[in-house]
Amino acid sequence: MRHTLRTALIPLAFVLMPPGAGQAGEFDATVTDVVENHILPRFDALAGTSEALDAAALADCTPGPALQEAWGAAFDAWISASHLRFGPTEADNRAFSLAFWPDSRGATPKALSALIADSDPAVESAEDFAQVSIAAQGFYALEYMLYDDQFAEMGTPAYRCALIRAMTGDIERTTLAIATDWHETWAGYLLPPPSGPYRDEEEVLGELFGALSQGLQFTSDTRLGRPMGTFDRPRATRAEARRSGRSLRHVELSLAALRDLAERLSGDDAELRAQVDEGFQTAQDLAAGLDDPVFAGVDDPSGRLRVEILQQAVDHIRQQEAANVGARLGVSAGFNALDGD
Amino acid sequence: MTSRRTFLAGMLAAGALPTPTWAEAGDPAFLSAARAPDGAYRLCGLDARGQVLFQQPLPARGHAAAAHPTRPEAVAFARRPGTFALVVDCRSGRIAARLDSPEGRHFYGHGAFSDDGALLFTPENDYEAGQGVIGVWDVASGYSRVDEVPSGGVGPHDILRLPDGSFVVANGGIETHPDAGRAKLNLPVMRPNLTYMSAAGSIRSQMELPEEMHLNSIRHLALSDDGLVAFAMQWQGDEYEAPALLGLHREGQEPLLAMAEGPMHDAMQGYAGSVAMDAAGTRAAISSPRGGLVQIFDTATGELVEQVAEADACGLSCGAGGFVITSGIGHVIGYDTGSGRSDWQAASEMQWDNHLVRIG
Repeated sequence: MRHTLRTALIPLAFVLMPPGAGQAGEFDATVTDVVENHILPRFDALAGTSEALDAAALADCTPGPALQEAWGAAFDAWISASHLRFGPTEADNRAFSLAFWPDSRGATPKALSALIADSDPAVESAEDFAQVSIAAQGFYALEYMLYDDQFAEMGTPAYRCALIRAMTGDIERTTLAIATDWHETWAGYLLPPPSGPYRDEEEVLGELFGALSQGLQFTSDTRLGRPMGTFDRPRATRAEARRSGRSLRHVELSLAALRDLAERLSGDDAELRAQVDEGFQTAQDLAAGLDDPVFAGVDDPSGRLRVEILQQAVDHIRQQEAANVGARLGVSAGFNALDGD
Repeated sequence: MTSRRTFLAGMLAAGALPTPTWAEAGDPAFLSAARAPDGAYRLCGLDARGQVLFQQPLPARGHAAAAHPTRPEAVAFARRPGTFALVVDCRSGRIAARLDSPEGRHFYGHGAFSDDGALLFTPENDYEAGQGVIGVWDVASGYSRVDEVPSGGVGPHDILRLPDGSFVVANGGIETHPDAGRAKLNLPVMRPNLTYMSAAGSIRSQMELPEEMHLNSIRHLALSDDGLVAFAMQWQGDEYEAPALLGLHREGQEPLLAMAEGPMHDAMQGYAGSVAMDAAGTRAAISSPRGGLVQIFDTATGELVEQVAEADACGLSCGAGGFVITSGIGHVIGYDTGSGRSDWQAASEMQWDNHLVRIG
């Protein structure tokens, strides 16, 4: 229910505030580099691959290799941008409509089953489809339609085809809206001098550092931690996008994207950059050597240990290298977030 | 809210104004503990638009405060397991009195005055017994300790006075001991509850959640004018199995649990830091500083209706048109639930701590 639930982007209102004192611009080059060479290309790639996905579905909605490949390319682009969760991705619940995961209570298969069982006509119109449960929208919902046997036979072929096209059309429009907002509005807010929601350079750097820090946390806690479960109760079936065999791939894509961001946030500090590279390389080597695409190995102690070692390497980046990047930028994690009560 | 201000206006007209009054303290609308840029801790009074009216030094990190119903006096509590609470005269900044928890007790960081302002009630830990108590302090005699009653559970964290003058206590269920810092000692057997007690402090009834939610520590409370209690929880189990973090309850009835769908619920990371209810009692908000998110629910249906993204958001209070939100990076935001936008914002050098306490 994307349009009834409102996500307020409070920073918009800060437009009215007088400009802050942060005109120092010590990190102008860093911010410009991140916006122009990290953020914008990722959302352009997401919009481009999503357009190709919709075109592929319109050409042939059969859940075969061609459509799966187009979906995989767009999903790759999303995972490679999904740490940038502020501004345009958060308006109108766009990010959740692209990526309804984790889905601990199985809302996505339930919502899809309901649409198919009712032959819900919402699939006939873009406006109506944008109003269905967001659990039935986006890349993870499409994965069920393209890879899950349960959905391959459900309902009629014509309805499944219409549903798939409704999903790809929605993805195309959403990713285009995000890219457009980035180009037309949000990039200008971040670029020096800070404007819009950002009062000063420190707030811009805080936002960018937050994306790095939260991206690492999500990969560690969620992409790896969810299937790991506990030692006594590993939960392989909670792995991300396991139906399409993409669980480990998402870890690798996110590490590559976060490494690119961390390198750029290291700026011209060669020593810091070398540390960042070493930290990420360690984790990326472990991931590449894992040979366990959906973390099925967590079910036995030695397999779980190997995933845990990868998780520790990601946590190490967060605690050491990313923390040093934060120190360079003069930003750190929140006061309340670190230590609640 | 009928209120102390209308009441005082009446008194003024009648020429019977008792002294001193909150007006003399600049009529702050809110109190919040904070960390100042120099790293020192403060209690601040804020006006209705988030501007700092006064600040008073605290010897250590504060948590929440209780405002006296009529006198311009606030009791600022140390963060658990702190043993001090300071009575601050909000006109002069003078420390009017200091409360030290008795031997074998520490505060949890919250407190509530009796209806007439004569007594102060403070949730405390009787840590050798591993039981919660409510300390009772006599205001007129300079906040002397006069009594202590059982809280009805372990780890009583927050307490609020209900419209009829009785109280509701959030027994968080988690046993701690100062020797072990903030370490949680009883998770496998914890049983949080809401305990309703009379104005005199005798337990009247209790609400416990189902057994499968026993790891959901009931921690903070908010209240509508007609006595609907909103309670915010902090899940101690697997983050991806976290149940609802907000509940709504009227004494003697079944609670209504409120949560968002799928990843929107997960975005709260199993943790609600503060809770508030709007003036009409139709919306309840919980904050997750970890998720940088405030979620606002319909109190009748328990459905998520709005969310506000704000980094390190934690303090929440009822405000004109909706809610006031504070953050650890110094923002104070007046959020209007009607328009879905912020009406106003204030920025400060202060890092606002967990709670924003409304006066009046």
